[in-house]
Amino acid sequence: MRHKSGLVSGGGSNSGSSSGPSPTKNKPGSSSSGSSGPPVLFPGIANTSASNVAAEAKIKDMLKELYHLIHQVQDERTRGEHNLSNIGKTHERILQEQKISPYYKSKLKGLYNTAMQDAESEAELLRKALDKINEVKSFRNERRDGPPKQVRRRGVLMSMLQQNALTLPLWIGKPGEKPPPLCGATPAESTYIAKPRDKVAARVKGQDGEENWILSEVVSFNSSTNKFEVDDIDAEEGKERHVLSRRRIVPLPVWKANPETDPEALFPAGTLVLALYPQTTCFYRALIHDPPKRPHDDYSLLFEDNSYPDGYSPPLNVAQRYVILCKDDKKK
Amino acid sequence: MKGKGKSGHSSGHIGGSGGEVLKDCPLQFPDLTPLDHTKYCPQYSTVLAKSDDATVGYGELDSLQPELETLLSSVAKRMRQLENEIQILVNWQEKGKDKKGGKFQQPPMPSPAGKRGKGGKGGGIPTSEERPSKKFKESSGKGSLVSTPGRPPKGKNIQAKMQEYEFVDSPLELPKLPRNDAPDRFWQSLEPYCCDITQEDLKVLEQILQSHEDDAEYYKVPTLGKHYSQKWAQEDLIEEQKEGVKITEPKRRGLSNLSNSTTPNTPEVHALLKKAESVELSEESSPFGPLTQRLVQALMEENIMTPIDDSSMSDIAGTDSEAIANMSPRALAKQLNIGNTAQLERRIKRELEEQGILEADERPEDNPDDEILSELRRKQQELKAIGQHNLVVTKRLYKLAKEEMSKQDLRKKLAAVDAEIMEAYRKVQSTRIKKKTPTKKEKDAMWRAIKEREQILKILNT
Repeated sequence: MRHKSGLVSGGGSNSGSSSGPSPTKNKPGSSSSGSSGPPVLFPGIANTSASNVAAEAKIKDMLKELYHLIHQVQDERTRGEHNLSNIGKTHERILQEQKISPYYKSKLKGLYNTAMQDAESEAELLRKALDKINEVKSFRNERRDGPPKQVRRRGVLMSMLQQNALTLPLWIGKPGEKPPPLCGATPAESTYIAKPRDKVAARVKGQDGEENWILSEVVSFNSSTNKFEVDDIDAEEGKERHVLSRRRIVPLPVWKANPETDPEALFPAGTLVLALYPQTTCFYRALIHDPPKRPHDDYSLLFEDNSYPDGYSPPLNVAQRYVILCKDDKKK
Repeated sequence: MKGKGKSGHSSGHIGGSGGEVLKDCPLQFPDLTPLDHTKYCPQYSTVLAKSDDATVGYGELDSLQPELETLLSSVAKRMRQLENEIQILVNWQEKGKDKKGGKFQQPPMPSPAGKRGKGGKGGGIPTSEERPSKKFKESSGKGSLVSTPGRPPKGKNIQAKMQEYEFVDSPLELPKLPRNDAPDRFWQSLEPYCCDITQEDLKVLEQILQSHEDDAEYYKVPTLGKHYSQKWAQEDLIEEQKEGVKITEPKRRGLSNLSNSTTPNTPEVHALLKKAESVELSEESSPFGPLTQRLVQALMEENIMTPIDDSSMSDIAGTDSEAIANMSPRALAKQLNIGNTAQLERRIKRELEEQGILEADERPEDNPDDEILSELRRKQQELKAIGQHNLVVTKRLYKLAKEEMSKQDLRKKLAAVDAEIMEAYRKVQSTRIKKKTPTKKEKDAMWRAIKEREQILKILNT
């Protein structure tokens, strides 16, 4: 079960590539903790060395802190609840009376301002908690680098990919903040170079000469040749290494866009995209059928598929993580 | 735990049609009920419910993360809604009691009961993404510190103050400031100097040029009229006669048989004037023109010489010539049967020209004594100079205007080409974003536009 951990950890490396999964004040541009922090999916591996014991203790401490943070969050929420219900009641009364007197106006103003402050402190605590989770994960991950590459079962790979998509951090900006690059549909900056262990879509030529967009992981980038070395995520015996030029590489999003706050960072319905076909590691052309409605929803996509009479598959769900813009190449 | 929100309170009113009646109210009354975490965040709730080990399991992290994100998302949404509402409230209050103008946005319909429930309900994403200004954030924070719900007067004061100091940039404040239109007036005054030259302007210039052709009229010297002394004398007489008539009228009415004499008797005036003239002339030296006088003088000299030569000649002849010499010129003229002295002058001139004594085409010389004529000539000279200058300048202006107009056309073309190029640039940009390359046709069009632009610039710069 432990084998393939390299790939497993790789699954989370995208989140690590930009300062971790929590959408904190750090804008991805100023990515701070350069070290990647892929989430660990298989925790609890027994380590014998003393350093490991110390590390375990540290993780324990951090988890404890997280526990407290979560409690603080809830305390804050409970505290603010009264005010919010007050607002609700006031709204109700105003709507009943069919008019809004100056008294209500100033009352509402006071209530709103209080609610705003409460919300700010609640958001602050939540961000802290998410930061903590990220911290734990990256700490755990640092100590497990250089894992042996091994073939893992397909089912394991698939569930790993799914988990990876699920834990892709959600970007929640403060009011007025714009979604950073690589958040949802927001493209990377033109100068952006995917870092090692980042997940990318790579256009490779198969043995049959056909070109495919495959899910892969960056190994290195050679700036003099402007070429990437990438590993096929579904590599058999780790021999599927490709050297590709930059334009054949598309970095995957490192943040989920939040439909509740940043709907403009999502692909609108009808957009032509490349998306990971369920239960495969290949990207295919698809149309957005329905963008996500809630933070952890998936896209509903219509894949181009000639086996269906209208040329498209029935709607399939794909996580935000695996949906990228399709530049209309001359493949066809 | 306590988290089970009081969601029941507020949900009822949101979808209600009551809002319709509050037409003047721009507020949206969003549903701000917090997310019910027991329903949507099971892992979170589990952690909260833990009391024994006071920590979080490592394996719980992955499920905890999305839940915390969900909570944060709902908070973030709430913040945006609140902000929106506060902004509306502030803008609205600034309008004072005037509740008009606020666009009432219908409260968002509650979403169908999804798994996100209350938190996901209501508000939705505000249609107008009103991003708060920093200023506003500060002020709202400040406001909430001091103003407490339930004490409206105080809150109002603070709001009033806030309006005064913090929201000067609100559009509603603007009318209060006296509008400074000096810059507008300045630019308006400049406009005529900077605007394009039109066909109309050219027409005006053409008219000016044409008007110079009529200048000849100003260089004519009108013929001399009657001398003012004569004119005035006549006028005076007529005046006097009128006066006289007025005085004598009552008497005449009394006599009542002279009816037609109420109007001034003009023949009478003329007769009188003639009489006066004859008297005047008889005493004047000479009514003859210069040519006549010269001619006569030339003849007279001979006449004078004769008596010297033969002074002893007969007394009879002497008396005869003496009699003639003693005659007044007027009488002499009468005797010589010369009606009009001016006519005589002209006749003499014609005669002299025919005889070849005077040159025919000689311009009639101005009378050096005629001050008015010389003044007229002087002014005409001046006018001519000015007219000439104006003509030259106008012609130059006309030429420049024509050149400028052709340049204007070029500039218009240039602007059009510029727009075309910008359009092409945007197209390239967008295709680049889509990671496509522009088609050959598009490329050709772009190059053509660029070349055209260069061409125009070349012409413009020469």
